[in-house]
Amino acid sequence: MGQDPFEAVMAAHHAEIYRYLRRVTFRSAEAEDLSQETFLRAFRAYRALPPDANVRAWLFAIATNLFRNSLRSAKRRRAAHDVVRTAPRRDGEGPEGAALFNEARVTVEAVIEQLPAKQRAAFVLRKVHELPYEEIAESLACSVDSARAHVFQAFRKIRSSLDDRQLPSAEVSA
Amino acid sequence: MSANMTSCRAIQPDLVAAATGDASPTAVTRVQQHVDTCAPCRQEMDRYRSIDRIVGDIRRTPIAGDRADVLRGDLEWRLAELRRRAVTARVWSSPLGPILIARSDEGVVAVEYLESARGAAASRLLRRHGIEIIEDGTDTEAFYQQILEYLAGNRTRLAWPLDFRLAGSDFQREVLRATAALPYGAVVSYAHLAREIGRPTATRAVAQALRHNPLPIVVPCHRVVGSSGALTGYAGNKLALKEQLLTLEGVPVAHARREGHIVRDAMYVRADHDTEYCVPTCGSLSTLPLWRLTLFSARERAEAAGLAPCTSCRPDLHPISA
Repeated sequence: MGQDPFEAVMAAHHAEIYRYLRRVTFRSAEAEDLSQETFLRAFRAYRALPPDANVRAWLFAIATNLFRNSLRSAKRRRAAHDVVRTAPRRDGEGPEGAALFNEARVTVEAVIEQLPAKQRAAFVLRKVHELPYEEIAESLACSVDSARAHVFQAFRKIRSSLDDRQLPSAEVSA
Repeated sequence: MSANMTSCRAIQPDLVAAATGDASPTAVTRVQQHVDTCAPCRQEMDRYRSIDRIVGDIRRTPIAGDRADVLRGDLEWRLAELRRRAVTARVWSSPLGPILIARSDEGVVAVEYLESARGAAASRLLRRHGIEIIEDGTDTEAFYQQILEYLAGNRTRLAWPLDFRLAGSDFQREVLRATAALPYGAVVSYAHLAREIGRPTATRAVAQALRHNPLPIVVPCHRVVGSSGALTGYAGNKLALKEQLLTLEGVPVAHARREGHIVRDAMYVRADHDTEYCVPTCGSLSTLPLWRLTLFSARERAEAAGLAPCTSCRPDLHPISA
């Protein structure tokens, strides 16, 4: 079957896909399983991929589909998993600002975790992995406008959950 | 929001995008003009800016307990394992219906008649053996073309590298090898084949081994029939295909009591391991049991198999009359 450049694809994208899944699932064991499954599936389909395809967007699409499917079955199972959060880290700020910031960050992460799958995926793809909207649309099998709308809705939900709480002002951590 | 609530609401998506670095330059200008005159929206924009900074912090924070390296090592191992088990396969359309051709690095692994052309994943044969299928036809397209030529009567040899990994036993592998050596236009019985591989009492086992032939056409099990000359069986219940393939090679098939059988009297004959071939009426040939014979549909087929015309019955001078 000849030399397969799939190893190169894995080298380039595996860590990123794994981290994406960690950030959308909030569950480390699940993210590990899904990231491995993403690449096993990609391996099987890789040869059928057109040579000019955007491999990164394609991998994010596979990962997103697996994430959404697992969310659906998780809803049925309601299994208990350990929730792993990234540890908030702040520096260069006064203790008061840091406390405010950390508190707000915990809230933001909690809102992200509760977002519907498509909004959560779109938000993480855009704001953490900085994918262009065209690629997000491809990953979510939706239009570019819908991809933008998902991110907008995510921001609105975060905004309303923070309500009128005092936030560290723009200048503090700029 | 201010008195101009409608315009505030309308500009909100752009405002969020502008605050979070996601807006086009024209949208940014539009938002700027709005917030210059709308204090509540200006405040909103500040809040979204703050939120965006928090999100930026999430982005920059490494994931706790990042196991990407360990996982990649594990994945490489699993892929190597997968590659060992994997075959590439594609379903092609043919005059015999959809046909799957699968191959590994070693050679062609499977040829399978399918009910529908839905794709290689529909292969029951490969699934049953736990074979990992990679849907791809680039390695098998040439073989497919050869099958088409063969089915059109324009090719008599399919000299493919074969991978017998789907053979269930050494015995089956041996049967398949012996069958693969049967020349175009030749017919033998299961009992004949059993003797060829040195297992004269294993006729039924040979028939079973060919019933589960993972490589029909290229391992021409259609050239093997029952001791009475009856077609007996083919690829489960595809007797009509067997007849079609035999007819293609010029083998005469007749029907009696709704069962197809080869017409032995209309075929050239080689007895045992003779170096010559005869007409069926030569000497006592017509009294010999089928297991001692190799039958040929035409003189050219016998000669292509390296046999010379018999010097007493002279099939070259007195061929079987049609």
